Amino acid sequence: MREIAKAVLLMLAGFALLAPFASQFPDGLETVAENLGITEPEPLWSGLMPDYTLPTIENPYISNLMAGVFGTLVVLAAAFALGKTLESTRNKRLS
Amino acid sequence: MHIPDGFLSPEIAAFMWIISASMLSWAWRKAKSTYAHSLTSLLAISSAFVFIAQMINFPITYGTSGHLVGGTFLSIILGPYTAILSMTIVLLMQALFFADGGIFALGANIFNMAIIGGLSFFILKLISGENTSSKRFHFGVFAASWLSVVIGALACGLEIGLSPIFSEAGGLIVTVPAMLFWHALIGLGEAAITTIIMSQLYKIRPTLLSGLNLMRRTLYARDS
Repeated sequence: MREIAKAVLLMLAGFALLAPFASQFPDGLETVAENLGITEPEPLWSGLMPDYTLPTIENPYISNLMAGVFGTLVVLAAAFALGKTLESTRNKRLS
Repeated sequence: MHIPDGFLSPEIAAFMWIISASMLSWAWRKAKSTYAHSLTSLLAISSAFVFIAQMINFPITYGTSGHLVGGTFLSIILGPYTAILSMTIVLLMQALFFADGGIFALGANIFNMAIIGGLSFFILKLISGENTSSKRFHFGVFAASWLSVVIGALACGLEIGLSPIFSEAGGLIVTVPAMLFWHALIGLGEAAITTIIMSQLYKIRPTLLSGLNLMRRTLYARDS
């Protein structure tokens, strides 16, 4: 547990440092679509934090940072739960 | 490379969901039978790392950017099957909370990034194979991670090119080469990042690389 907390803090610190330098250019697929004159249709589901920003926070850096922290913790928890599930099904099979 | 909703025709989206769902159930069974208990912390940490790393886009050229996908990275740390499940979690959370990649398009995105990413492990295995010396291993990591992005982009180019919104703009003949061109470049970033991280881990903590150990185990098994 301690190890996980340490690793996550380290990753988030790295993210906080690098985030201001992240490129805002469109990615490969977006460029392909743009060059063909195709605009992204309005999504049916825009999520809680579209484009990794919290709509309620004005400062773009803080907003992006908070989205990153939230996403990291959600993925961490879900992957941990996946691991526990894989462990328990393995146990049943072995015993 | 995350496909948003609206780019794929319903038929293609449904077809990719069926392919991905059946491959996920296969990966689930394989992961279950090879899963080591000690892997759970590493599974949680490496999945979280891939999520946060994907938020940092690096510029390539001509006003385009890319970011690490991390499929090969995960497959070396977790083994190919658990890596597929780990990347699927990342893609699911991105679609649910951040609208990065559509919900209907998630089946295609899982195929392009999670499944191809996890299976890129076998490209590495093919290259370093009998010999997990540092040179062969590093070349294998570089090639596998570059190819994981390029093959994913090829799949993505086929999926969008066959869908009406892109087929009216030229179809496969346009989308496939364009996707391959950009992702051949983005893949170099993927390969550089993955190889740098792996060469450090290979030096400091080789025990963390379950994928590498998996390759060595099969090697020992054949020897004895």
